[in-house]
Amino acid sequence: MSSTDTALSRTAAIDEFDRTTSRWGQITMGSALLLSLAAPLYLVLFADLGVTSGQVWTAFLAVGAAFFVLWIIEPITYFPVLGPAGMYQAFMIGNIANKLLPSALVAQATIGAKTGTKRGEFSALMAICGAAMVHVISMLVFVGLLGTWLVSIVPADVVDVARLYIFPSIIGAVIVQLVVSLKQPRVTVIAVVVAALVLFVLVPAVPALAKPATGIVVLLTAALAWFLRPKTKDVDTTETGSGA
Amino acid sequence: MITATVPAATSTDILAVANIPILWILAIGVFGAIILQSVVYMRAARKAGPAADISEAELKTSFRAGAVAAIGPSLAVVLVSVALLTLFGTPAVLVRIGLVGSAATESASASIASGTMGAELGGPDYTQSVFAVAFMAMSLSGAMWMLATLILTPLLRRGDSKLRHVNPALMAIVPAAALIGAFASLGIAELGKTPVHVLTVIVSAVVMGICLLLAKKFSQAWLREWGLGIAILVGLFTAFLAHTSGMAPVA
Repeated sequence: MSSTDTALSRTAAIDEFDRTTSRWGQITMGSALLLSLAAPLYLVLFADLGVTSGQVWTAFLAVGAAFFVLWIIEPITYFPVLGPAGMYQAFMIGNIANKLLPSALVAQATIGAKTGTKRGEFSALMAICGAAMVHVISMLVFVGLLGTWLVSIVPADVVDVARLYIFPSIIGAVIVQLVVSLKQPRVTVIAVVVAALVLFVLVPAVPALAKPATGIVVLLTAALAWFLRPKTKDVDTTETGSGA
Repeated sequence: MITATVPAATSTDILAVANIPILWILAIGVFGAIILQSVVYMRAARKAGPAADISEAELKTSFRAGAVAAIGPSLAVVLVSVALLTLFGTPAVLVRIGLVGSAATESASASIASGTMGAELGGPDYTQSVFAVAFMAMSLSGAMWMLATLILTPLLRRGDSKLRHVNPALMAIVPAAALIGAFASLGIAELGKTPVHVLTVIVSAVVMGICLLLAKKFSQAWLREWGLGIAILVGLFTAFLAHTSGMAPVA
């Protein structure tokens, strides 16, 4: 009956919640990881496509060189916003910044819960569950059923042209979106100059570097962006750091 | 049912291998994992709700608010996913674009992977075996994101001071540089291809720029979400016109 008793049972309830969500978050994410690897693995191993392990590793290393920085940094960046339970949801459902975070913020605002409180965490978790359900249903219905049907009725020559130019029609928009949302003009200029030099000067001179070209651009851009960072910004961060 | 009589691997009929039943089953399994997770989480939240000062009605309201807020962005992802179906087939698109990854990272991974096979993503040499390697490489890359989450979350939860106090300037600059570096590199590589490719990249970039500008000027957030889908559609339409009008070299 005393207030310490209720406080204790409260912490116990929250602890149990944390344990359940962490355990099940790990179990479900682990199984999603295995299932998502099983699909291409089946094609590589059993579909008789003549794919060698060397080809797979070469491709993976080239992709990894471009993205390994993000593999590690993105989870660290989102942790303070998502919390442990939300991490296992978000990195499985995907589209974090454009769908899950806005959903969580709307839900918190609707019930007047603040980010950083347990109320806020629970509200965000429920919102992400709601978003996940909408997303799962719309993907299965509109892409799984309708989309597959749509592709089957589109004339073959249109499909061929679409396949040929889908990547350029994505990449132009993605670059603009990134440049606008990240607001890092200096980094953008560095990236474009480095990419042009690597692709149009370095690779023609040393053709062996064509495969890891994207990775080379990423590493050079990251290194140059770091060493050429504005010094005033440094002063800013140390000032706010010491002030806090 | 793959008829591997003649070298099937050199066939460019991607959908013949990309839509086989076992891939559908595995894709649905990933959806199942997400649904199971949501059910477990919602039960846990309802049970511990009183301890977190949140009522059952508020939990329900939050669920509904999150669901409604996700409708627009989800449909925007649907549009982009449908556009990618011919490239990867439905199961791969459902899992990679719809769930774990995003259109940008996954198509970038696939483009890099195809490049290591000496093929162009979606081009005449984009064969079944190139598709299999690209699918494998993007799935492995996606698995690394999940693996990092599985390893780092418990560490961050324990409040690992080393991870929490990474230099903020480093955290601001390096990820941005990595992202822009990767996509700038892939975009500029497209400029080295045919005039139709160049035109398509430019049109896509301009359309996205216009969408973002209008979104900001008239505070229409939905334009930001739909920008990629709109840019892809206009880009593909332009490419189709240019291609059929003979701008592309004869393959």
